[in-house]
Amino acid sequence: MISPLFDVRDVTLRFGGVVSLNKVNLHQSRGEILAIIGPNGAGKTSLFNSLTGVYAPQEGAIVFTNSRGKAISIIGKKPFRVSAAGVARTFQASRMFNAMTTFENVKIGAESHRGLGVVGAMFKGPGTRRDEHRSDIRTKELLEFVGLTQQANAIASTLNYGARRRLEIARGLATAPDVLLLDEPAAGTNPTEKLELVELIRKVRDEMGVSILLIEHDMKLVMSLAERLYVLNFGSVIAEGTPAEIRSNPSVIEAYLGSVDTGVAQEARDA
Amino acid sequence: MKDLWQNPRVKRIGAIMLIAVLVTVMTGPEGNGAEPTAGFTGSFAAQASFFGIFTVQRWIVFSLLTLIVVGAIALAKFVHRSWNDRAHRGGSDASAMSTRTPLRRRLDMKSSRYVFYVIVLVLAIFLPHVITDNSWQTQIVQQILVYILLAIGLNVVTGFAGLLDLGFVAFYAIGAYTTAWVTGALPTPPPFHMQFNTFFAIPFAIALAMLCGVLIGLPTLRLRGDYLAIVTLGFGEIIYLFANNLFGITGGATGTREIPFLSIHLGSLKYLWGLNPVPYYYLTLGFVVLFLIIFSSLEHSRVGRAWVAIREDEIAAESLGINPLKYKVMAFAIGAASAGFAGVITASQTLFVTPPTFTLQFSINILVLVIFGGMGSIIGVVLGGLFIQIFVVYLEHSPPSGYNSQDLYMYLGALLVVMMIFRPAGLFPSRRRRREIDQIEAGTAPDAVLTDVGPHNRVQEEMS
Repeated sequence: MISPLFDVRDVTLRFGGVVSLNKVNLHQSRGEILAIIGPNGAGKTSLFNSLTGVYAPQEGAIVFTNSRGKAISIIGKKPFRVSAAGVARTFQASRMFNAMTTFENVKIGAESHRGLGVVGAMFKGPGTRRDEHRSDIRTKELLEFVGLTQQANAIASTLNYGARRRLEIARGLATAPDVLLLDEPAAGTNPTEKLELVELIRKVRDEMGVSILLIEHDMKLVMSLAERLYVLNFGSVIAEGTPAEIRSNPSVIEAYLGSVDTGVAQEARDA
Repeated sequence: MKDLWQNPRVKRIGAIMLIAVLVTVMTGPEGNGAEPTAGFTGSFAAQASFFGIFTVQRWIVFSLLTLIVVGAIALAKFVHRSWNDRAHRGGSDASAMSTRTPLRRRLDMKSSRYVFYVIVLVLAIFLPHVITDNSWQTQIVQQILVYILLAIGLNVVTGFAGLLDLGFVAFYAIGAYTTAWVTGALPTPPPFHMQFNTFFAIPFAIALAMLCGVLIGLPTLRLRGDYLAIVTLGFGEIIYLFANNLFGITGGATGTREIPFLSIHLGSLKYLWGLNPVPYYYLTLGFVVLFLIIFSSLEHSRVGRAWVAIREDEIAAESLGINPLKYKVMAFAIGAASAGFAGVITASQTLFVTPPTFTLQFSINILVLVIFGGMGSIIGVVLGGLFIQIFVVYLEHSPPSGYNSQDLYMYLGALLVVMMIFRPAGLFPSRRRRREIDQIEAGTAPDAVLTDVGPHNRVQEEMS
């Protein structure tokens, strides 16, 4: 039986008079690699922000079902609570903690869901030491998983784009999520890095059992990676289906041809 | 010759000399109608004897002083760099991954640091036997230890969590007035109508200061940056006005009644702190050490890392499950604790508490110590506090001729300007803070580095 993960029903998000998302419906099953595509300004990142609690849509419902089968309503929850529920994300413009090392960046993710523990932190009790040790091990594992062991002690701002993306993925995974939301993971990476990234994302799903929801402009990458796609345009879902279905969908082609990104439609057909 | 003037160092020293000349003119005698240029010409005359040791022309004195400061900064730079280089090779946060570092060197590094701390502590313990002058000893407690306590507390708020707090004096005031309240020195009756043993003022003051930190923090810490600074400024003023105007509760502008000295009466254990400043010195020193240990273990804990994460990128931190408000309020409360304790010491040693102590000026003085020493670096803040407060105490204790107390801020201001030119991150900045400032200066803060040409070398440098 396919268990649900995200269930987005009739979500509408407005900023004053501007409608950013218009009655969006989206469904993701556990273990699925799902992609959202669409021209610039279609509302992809707004949808992401709604799914992670950054924005609170005025209408509709977003229900997230965690690994224990508990349904959690996302709307109105703060981002840190959404994260605690099991949703991790990366950002379009990568947001690392630049002055920290790669290791510390990931470690912060690994330990963020424990309680406050101020008293323990003040006096370094045995419990705190054990926690630290566990976070260190987890961080090491994750850095190895994404292939950043060599750069563990490098300052985050000195990493190149590909490494930054992998770092963000590791940091997200450190929070032990059910689903990882990737906002344009391939932006700014070169072709080799892109291939490695596709491999890594597949590995995240296959080996860690973390579902993937991604936004991406690179059609080749999306078509080869995603199992199902949603196409957004002007805040509405205009198409949904497998890569093959999307490629031949006339309304998708029209949406792309009608926008500035004419090249993308061409790419979509070529891919 | 022209090349020489293009050299940034020469430019900087030139600028500093200019400041020195300006200070010379400003500290000169007042002019009058009969001799309108007396102020100017007098300012260059040889009559001033700064620190009582120089009888040469004032402008030479100031120029020499600035050069000494520049030299001190260069020395600090050198010491700090060699210290950090060693720290980096075997640093604590790298220890988890650095398999290449020989264990022995790491141990060496750690133990040499501890040896340094122990030496400083032993020196501090023997200090009252070296400086036996009573008024100096009092000044050391009131002007140096108390200020260091306040500075390390503010460092938690401003340095670790990155929250600009301009009303930090409020928590100090709360500590001082709580002491007065608990010991029955206020017009309001003490808690439960029983006059507490003075020593109990310490937990009371710390708890109340922390509570106020939480109460003021919860609504205001949702704000960011400048807005927070303004609100905390307002909070500081509110507490000052409460102290000054609520005659029936705080004693108003005339201050409190006499506050007894600290004392312990627990069973057979009886001790009374008296006029002698030495016991106060040891008590305060003990608490300074305690707070230093607590704050530095906080810095290197999960909590400390969460603070850095929030400081650097709140949105990213929140997406990782860190509740920013909770951690910010915590920083506020923890910082307030040390200020509350400092308030107890001041209140019980100076015997009276009056509102004019707790003005905005005081908050800013503490902030200067934090900025001067290096935000976010505990050792830096302690050294910066020592440096500036010794200077301040010296000026108060043996003022040079023609010195009046307002001049102090002119000197401190000039000192800060020099600091900002040569070491914008402070005297002994924390490694992270320095990186943040470097990144801002180099324009490589988020997203500016698109290629890996330049930074790559730095990676190798850091790794080797």
